[in-house]
Amino acid sequence: MSFETSVALRYLAASRRRAHVALISTISMLGLAVGVAALIISLSLLSGFQDRIRAQMAERTPHLRVSPARGPTLPEPDRVREALVSLNGVVAVEPAIEGRGWVSASAIESTLPIRYRNAPEGELSAMDGGPPLTRISSSVATRTRTAPGDLLRVTSSRTRLSPLGPLPVAVVFRIADIRHAAALEKTPDIEIPEDTARLLAGLPSGARAYEARLADPARAEVASRAVSLLLGPNYRVQTWRELNAPLSFALRLEKGVIFATVALVIVVAALNIVSNIALTVVEKKRDLGVLTSLGATPGSLARIYLTLGAVIGALGTAFGVAVGVSASLLLDRYEIVTLPADVYLLTHVPFSVHPREVALVAAFALATAVAAAALPARAAARLAPGEAIRLSR
Amino acid sequence: MLAVKAEGLSKTYMDEAAPVTVFQNLDFDLEKGVFAAVMGPSGVGKSTLLHLLGGIDRPDAGRVEILGVSLDDLSPKERARFRNERIGFVFQFHHLLPEFTAEENVAFPHRIAGISARDARQRAAKLLDRVGLADRHSHLSRSLSGGEQQRVAIARALARGPSLLLADEPTGNLDSESARGVFDLLTELHRECAMTTVLVTHNPELAKRCDKIFNMSREGILPATRFSG
Repeated sequence: MSFETSVALRYLAASRRRAHVALISTISMLGLAVGVAALIISLSLLSGFQDRIRAQMAERTPHLRVSPARGPTLPEPDRVREALVSLNGVVAVEPAIEGRGWVSASAIESTLPIRYRNAPEGELSAMDGGPPLTRISSSVATRTRTAPGDLLRVTSSRTRLSPLGPLPVAVVFRIADIRHAAALEKTPDIEIPEDTARLLAGLPSGARAYEARLADPARAEVASRAVSLLLGPNYRVQTWRELNAPLSFALRLEKGVIFATVALVIVVAALNIVSNIALTVVEKKRDLGVLTSLGATPGSLARIYLTLGAVIGALGTAFGVAVGVSASLLLDRYEIVTLPADVYLLTHVPFSVHPREVALVAAFALATAVAAAALPARAAARLAPGEAIRLSR
Repeated sequence: MLAVKAEGLSKTYMDEAAPVTVFQNLDFDLEKGVFAAVMGPSGVGKSTLLHLLGGIDRPDAGRVEILGVSLDDLSPKERARFRNERIGFVFQFHHLLPEFTAEENVAFPHRIAGISARDARQRAAKLLDRVGLADRHSHLSRSLSGGEQQRVAIARALARGPSLLLADEPTGNLDSESARGVFDLLTELHRECAMTTVLVTHNPELAKRCDKIFNMSREGILPATRFSG
């Protein structure tokens, strides 16, 4: 242990005997602890909600999507499919057959522009003889005033040539299911079987894109790099995070704003550290002069007070981390904050503690404490030692 | 050879009301190995002179050379190192750090020099034994008597084996018996360590036992008078 650290620790230990310094030290540490705990709890609360949103995102969005860098369809669909299948951890590979069109229903007079795409293989299998099945979004259901079992006509934006001239391609579907999309979720308006999607899109073979699902969505970035390497620059590979970029950005922004706002508590607590250390510098002015006479450099004197700030910061941060993490875990474990299930789809407020965020909060609090100590430490380094000794007689 | 050579020293402090000139154009030389006493009325700048000689304060004008090294030519870091290795300070009010034991106080110069805590404390323990405080190693400085505290301060000043010892009224705050004991210790250590010593004192009896006496007044330092040697 350096002599600067031993002096700083001894000053802190001895401050118990000086009631006013002890009080300010305690307030500084508690202030910092409250700030750290508040920040950890706030971020855990946000993470709790955001983890659920991300889980839904990962569940409902393809984890990887390979589309052509130029043009409407994949130039070598089989190569793309093989590249995706060859990846580790891929559980399903589906072609994406999608396009734009209009829906009409008997309950409404006008048509509604929509985006359609093929449903995953095996879903929406048509009953013998009946019209093909479709799954529509709740928004389309509301606007077309339809319910499961009703018929829906989808007209493609594509036309086919007939002896009578170009005719629109249209298919009538029976509504099998209505999908309730989560907030900001990017889903197609209607999902239809692959063969009818190919008919509407005019795409007998190949695909607009290929999509893959992974066993572990967290590996999407690694898999994306691998596919990009395999396929080269003619293909665009996107992960589920990139496909939901606006939502991901909104979630990150939300967390950043909360961090910046609640971190102000830590900054305010750091002001107490400034006054605490400034008081110690004034009280120990004579010691500074004496240490200088013994050969201590101005830098050494500054380090004593920076260390003092760091120790106060570390104690406050450790206490804050303990309180913040325990509170978050308990609030989540015992589901203490309940929510009306009919409004929120959740029965309680979820809390999720991310070690990386806790480390970030701790590092920020510690850095703020040391930065707060830097001001009085600089003053200590600039003290005229002769004067400090002369005036302390 | 000169241990101390100070030329044309001037020092003015900024007081709250007005600047206070302590001395102007002061010269002071001292040969190596001499035990010198500096006497004079309060306020003539005896302590200030010691601070300038030890490099913990800077003169407004003039220059100080210690053992042939000009303090002006050293950077703050080099000056601190020079002070640590070559100069020892003893103050009137001992100025021990109250949160630390006698041994820790004496170990400070070694710790500042970068010596490990264990080594520094071993060396400090030997010095404390030498100044007659073998049974006071682990006492906090504030629990020691005035004479004992001053002995600890002397041990601390001698920790790094300095060539120049600057003692600012080390007996001024002690009863006559303790003062004599501290002075005897200083003279013994001065001889043992072959140092040059500058002692500021108001006690003429103690001053007479020094090799040289300098009388300091507003006009400067009077020529030295030799009593012994």
